[in-house]
Amino acid sequence: MALVFRNQRARPVRSLLTVLGILVATASMVLFLSFGEGLRQALAGEMTKFGPEIRVVAEGTGVFGVPNPELDQNVLDTLKAHARELGIARLFPAVVMMKGSGFDPATTFLFYGLPEGVTPKDLAPAAKLVAGRLDPHPDGAVVGKQKAEQNRLTLGKVLRLSRRAEVPVVGIVDAGNGLADSFIFVPMKLLQKVLHTDQYSVVLVYVAPGHKADEVAARIRALLPGVDAQTTSEAIKYAERAIKIGDVIRFGISLIALIVGGLLVANTVMMSVYERIREFGVMRAIGARRGFIFRLVLLEALLLAVAGGAVGVAAGYLGSWVVNLYTTHAVGLALSAVTPRLVLFSLAVALALGLSAGLLPARVASRISVVEALGRL
Amino acid sequence: MSEGDRVLYAAHLGKRYRQGEVWIDALRDFTFDFPPGVTAVVGPSGSGKTTLLNLLAGFDRPSAGEVYLAGRPLHALGEDERAGVRLAHAGFVFQSWNLLPTLSALENVAFPLLLKGVPRRERNQRARALLDEVGLGHRASHFPHQLSGGEQQRVAIARALALDPLVLFADEPTGNLDSAAGERVLELLLGQARGRRRVVLVTHDLEIAARAHRILRLKDGRLVEVRASP
Repeated sequence: MALVFRNQRARPVRSLLTVLGILVATASMVLFLSFGEGLRQALAGEMTKFGPEIRVVAEGTGVFGVPNPELDQNVLDTLKAHARELGIARLFPAVVMMKGSGFDPATTFLFYGLPEGVTPKDLAPAAKLVAGRLDPHPDGAVVGKQKAEQNRLTLGKVLRLSRRAEVPVVGIVDAGNGLADSFIFVPMKLLQKVLHTDQYSVVLVYVAPGHKADEVAARIRALLPGVDAQTTSEAIKYAERAIKIGDVIRFGISLIALIVGGLLVANTVMMSVYERIREFGVMRAIGARRGFIFRLVLLEALLLAVAGGAVGVAAGYLGSWVVNLYTTHAVGLALSAVTPRLVLFSLAVALALGLSAGLLPARVASRISVVEALGRL
Repeated sequence: MSEGDRVLYAAHLGKRYRQGEVWIDALRDFTFDFPPGVTAVVGPSGSGKTTLLNLLAGFDRPSAGEVYLAGRPLHALGEDERAGVRLAHAGFVFQSWNLLPTLSALENVAFPLLLKGVPRRERNQRARALLDEVGLGHRASHFPHQLSGGEQQRVAIARALALDPLVLFADEPTGNLDSAAGERVLELLLGQARGRRRVVLVTHDLEIAARAHRILRLKDGRLVEVRASP
């Protein structure tokens, strides 16, 4: 092992540059994949923060889509009438309106119209009042803390919903960095007026104790054709699938960096082998077996890869922290997470990289003919 | 005496190389049983000296004949088996001293012991004793680039003796040294021919060869003369 270290120290600049190459490759992989991990954590956290277990929307609405106000009074009445047999503890309608592109959090406004008697705390039970009051009724807006900070909304500031409808900010609520932190809660009637409708976007349902959300949702779908009942676990599954696809794509991208890093190690070790043919020849002449030389060269490649991988994971962790600083501010969610399994996976990939990059040079070094090597004296 | 009892023995040894379309006989029908003491191998360039050394040490396999080192048939063994025989029974001193540049003098001497699996403390003790023997105990922690040519060659001799070999091969050991350093190295080498040990000294310098117990003269790949030194 001392020989392995010494050989790397004998060529410090080259070793350092190679380690840097691996570092960049590993750090980029950690950072790319940390988004998937972050999304999973954020999603799980978000779902536990969200009160209602089922959202009833018009059929065809995406799990994470903003639902249009397409549910009529009949849907609400039917659900209320059959609440007991369906296994519903509580339900209330809501109207949702999005203003802005939807892509840039700073210029996107998601208005949540709540009926009388319902406050943001009913959606996010952990929500805490930061300033003003919790209930937007009769004519105010309660803004999520994140959104308030992002758009500098303070108490008394007036929000314009349409040409004729304006509401002052009457409360700021902290939903614990959840999605509700980006919402603006307003009275439902006001939002219906703005949208020129008396329908609802969504009916939010709390499942009664002793019932399962999936079964309640299935019963609702059976009872009301043209209506979809989406559970939070379905949403998680749906999101998990999307995250997995994202993982594959992100890993594919980082694979390019990894391959470049691997070639870098292979090139460095191969050059080092060619420069040291004499040394290997002398070792073989003295009595070193092929396996000794093979292991020596392979260990050198592994050392470079593991050193680069370890520092790369640390750099990826730092990058993830910086990303989270931005995303927490921008969308209220820490979108990047370096989990223990990601660290282990990255180190394993770095190790595999070193192993595969070192195999060929190790084979070449171990097969050097003594006569040929000593002929170069 | 059977071949298995012979320390260094070659019978009808030959080596053919192909150079383009032409076959070259680098060594032909070499037979000799090396007795204890120093045997010098002399001859002009291209006479087959280095080829002979390569075959006797098991660096290369012969095209014809047999070669035994410490009773082991090198001609019939694979690369790793030959390496094992070398490690156990042979030591080498080359013209270019060939110390491992990233190891100190002590570590270079201890290297064969490391290959043999000797524990660190024991191998360091043995290496230090050998360095003392060649007069370089005070340079143990120096790296090859910090040593003179003569000192490097003495470290190489200490390394060659690390496992107390039966045969010591030296290929032009003083070729790169000034006369004073060369003389010291030569005396050290000649002094190693003790007990059953054979020292095979390949040289083109007849003055050096004259100090061996016997001289083998090669010409065009053939052994043309065997004589005791005057």
